[in-house]
Amino acid sequence: MNEMRMTGFSSEPSGQDPLISVRDLHVRFTTPKGPVHAVRGVSFDLGRERLGIVGESGSGKSQTGRALLRLTAGNGSIDASKMEFDGLDLMKASEKKMRSIRGSRISMIMQDPKYSLNPVLTVGAQIAESCRRHEDISKADAKKRALAMLDTVRIREPEKVYNLYPHQVSGGMGQRIMIAMMLITNPQVMIADEPTSALDVTVQMQVLALLDDMVRERGMGLVLISHDLQLVSSFCDRVLVMYGGRIMETLDAKNLDQAQHPYTKGLLNCLPRLDGRHDDLPVLKRDPAWLTEGGDADGGLT
Amino acid sequence: MMIDIKDLNIVFGSGHNQIHAVRDVNLEVAEGESYGLVGESGSGKSTILRAMVGINAHWTGSIKVDGQLLTPKRTVASRKHMQMVFQDPYGSLHPRRTVDDTLKEPLVIHNLDDRDERIIRILKEVGLGPEFRFRYPHQLSGGQRQRVAIARALILEPRVILLDEPTSALDVSVQAEILNLLSALRKAHGLTYIMVSHDLAVVGHLCSKIAVMNRGVVIEEMTEEQMRSGEVAHDYTRQLWTASHGYDRAALKTFKEFA
Amino acid sequence: MSDASIKPNRGLTAWLLADFPQNAFQARCQRAYIGWLSFKTNPIAMLGLFIVSFLCFVALFAPLIASGDGTTQDLANRLAAPSAEHWFGTDELGRDVFDRIVWGSRVTLYIIFLVSIIVMPIGLIIGTASGLFGGIVDKVLMRITDIFLAFPRLILALAFVAVLGPGLENAVLAIALTTWSPYARLARAETLTLRSSEYIMAAEIMGASKARVLFAHIMPMCLSSTIVRLTLDMAGIILTAAGLGFLGLGAQPPLAEWGAMIATGRDFLLDQWWVPTIPGIAILVVSLGFNLLGDGLRDVLDPRSSGGH
Repeated sequence: MNEMRMTGFSSEPSGQDPLISVRDLHVRFTTPKGPVHAVRGVSFDLGRERLGIVGESGSGKSQTGRALLRLTAGNGSIDASKMEFDGLDLMKASEKKMRSIRGSRISMIMQDPKYSLNPVLTVGAQIAESCRRHEDISKADAKKRALAMLDTVRIREPEKVYNLYPHQVSGGMGQRIMIAMMLITNPQVMIADEPTSALDVTVQMQVLALLDDMVRERGMGLVLISHDLQLVSSFCDRVLVMYGGRIMETLDAKNLDQAQHPYTKGLLNCLPRLDGRHDDLPVLKRDPAWLTEGGDADGGLT
Repeated sequence: MMIDIKDLNIVFGSGHNQIHAVRDVNLEVAEGESYGLVGESGSGKSTILRAMVGINAHWTGSIKVDGQLLTPKRTVASRKHMQMVFQDPYGSLHPRRTVDDTLKEPLVIHNLDDRDERIIRILKEVGLGPEFRFRYPHQLSGGQRQRVAIARALILEPRVILLDEPTSALDVSVQAEILNLLSALRKAHGLTYIMVSHDLAVVGHLCSKIAVMNRGVVIEEMTEEQMRSGEVAHDYTRQLWTASHGYDRAALKTFKEFA
Repeated sequence: MSDASIKPNRGLTAWLLADFPQNAFQARCQRAYIGWLSFKTNPIAMLGLFIVSFLCFVALFAPLIASGDGTTQDLANRLAAPSAEHWFGTDELGRDVFDRIVWGSRVTLYIIFLVSIIVMPIGLIIGTASGLFGGIVDKVLMRITDIFLAFPRLILALAFVAVLGPGLENAVLAIALTTWSPYARLARAETLTLRSSEYIMAAEIMGASKARVLFAHIMPMCLSSTIVRLTLDMAGIILTAAGLGFLGLGAQPPLAEWGAMIATGRDFLLDQWWVPTIPGIAILVVSLGFNLLGDGLRDVLDPRSSGGH
């Protein structure tokens, strides 16, 4: 199982225990229209690596990410035989303990920074505040740290940006500010749920490069949740392909073209290619059997 | 030429807050051609479409469609020849109207007969059975909604369809189905498309000619062959082209801002 | 992905839950039925619905429920305590309080009905028109709305009644004229967000006239929030009507109006408590009923919630 996990991994010393270890994770929701089983028995390990979770809408990829922080909505329940973070049982941790973990040791970036930033505070104040919430330092120090962090996420003129309000910054800059806010507490794990899908491609690259640096330089573990199989495979070390709440296949990102599962192959084939012709794209045929059998439900673990 | 745009300028606001969204754009699209407009957000690509369909009246220059000069104010009859499909299939259908209501409205406005037959025929053409006719938008999936939006654009039998990021809100597997549908419809009806997208691969798939826009200016026009082989002249296009191939750490170092 | 096990349905339920409705009528019935299913799960809202239906029931069958017409005086029996014969006692003129409450429900419903049919169209049309057309239309209509908003409601209603003369219809008119302005504001705000939505643009592109956009596209979207707001406001309307009645400017004697009943009964509050208390409770319960109903309706009618299956 360790070989499997570490294959796509390069720059950091490996071989330690995984940062996050999940076995047989289930997320269920009760809705007025009946129960919904969003995540059905997902298992994986996250090391100090870039792990991608790819799937279409409704595949349970976002719910998997949220369940790691126990941020599942009120009408949902999480169930797992094991969900550990750095030796700590996330299933049994108290709500108070979870609050101290969220944002300081495990951070999360959402798709749209506009909804995650407080509109009435300057972005700098929010970054400094996030720093002070997790560490006991003075206001002046927090500001210094915030400015340094803005610089780290490659914002030109950090002093100027520090005093801007969220509506005054562009989408790409907003997402960088979010990342700065999430990184200032030096988390061990970052869960990024479609962090770049609202951004232009060139900005997207820059944001991903930032996350890349954090994994390389700080040994952070990154979970990148996205619908974009090509993007994820070009960025991550390992990719979990999800469908219908289950993991269909775990892939080494480099060996994407060797994907075995018909779902992964179908997803790859139906993408229009820059170098492709004008013929009709192959249409993905879904097999109901994927929901019940086969696949790679244990996330490549034995 | 089916579409002939000359010296199109679009300016929003006035005084200090003035934004020159589109600058001196010239476009020519032949009949039956599929033309792509590519650019990042704020490049003015959607603004051009909005000026063409008459939602936005603040433009100068000339827009000719099928030899007819368009004015900022439109007559009802002139609307028939050009329709538009929007990006968000969740936002472009009225939530309180069934598919039938949505498709019947253009027929009522333009006084067309045989409404039932037309609706059933158009539903079939976009790959929805007649059983979907009385469903509400919330009872449809994203792909089905986009099919209804395409049916609504098509039911007036227009000659030009403007596509504003028609697949960017859809899953890739659904995107493939919609792209196939769009190219089949174009062939069947001899439609002329202008498609706006930020996704080079999608535009490259559907369109034979592609214009690249940045900050309101068309910086380059290329054919599909040039695009496929990456024979692009402008640095900005090259950067966009590289970024569309996925994450590439080495290439990122060469990226710069284009003003 | 929902693995809800839907029980096999037959007959009407099957028709109402069919996956593929056959015609527009079935589709609309389905929509209503699914709304009802979700409304039904909210017990508080159901209580509200029960109270309001009960009010309608009582008003409809008042001649059968009441033992008399509620205006017959029986001076020998004045201010009698509640008993088997007079459930809620009698008032200072010996009229049965129960009968008067029952007949008063008609007056209350009458007020509600009249206020609704005046307030909703005025508020909706002014609000949506000023939101859709913008510019000078918006400025003029909104300044008029502001003028009405600026006055305290009861004071303005008093002024109107003073001009129009006391009486139930005039009281209703006065209430309606002082109530519509927030509805116009609400409809305008909603129209402003709707105006830039893609389905409105699509309608304009296909050549829909402003009037069509206003009446066929925007108004149905604003209607539900207006209905909800009106149900929530109903308590206030009933209380204002009761207030005018209390001041002698609303319903005139001997008409049984709950507010007027409290007004005349207040002299007897200490010794014959039932005379003012019973109509007070009636007003309270009905106001509460409308409030609860409005709360429940808000969840069901919200156009942003899908309400699908």
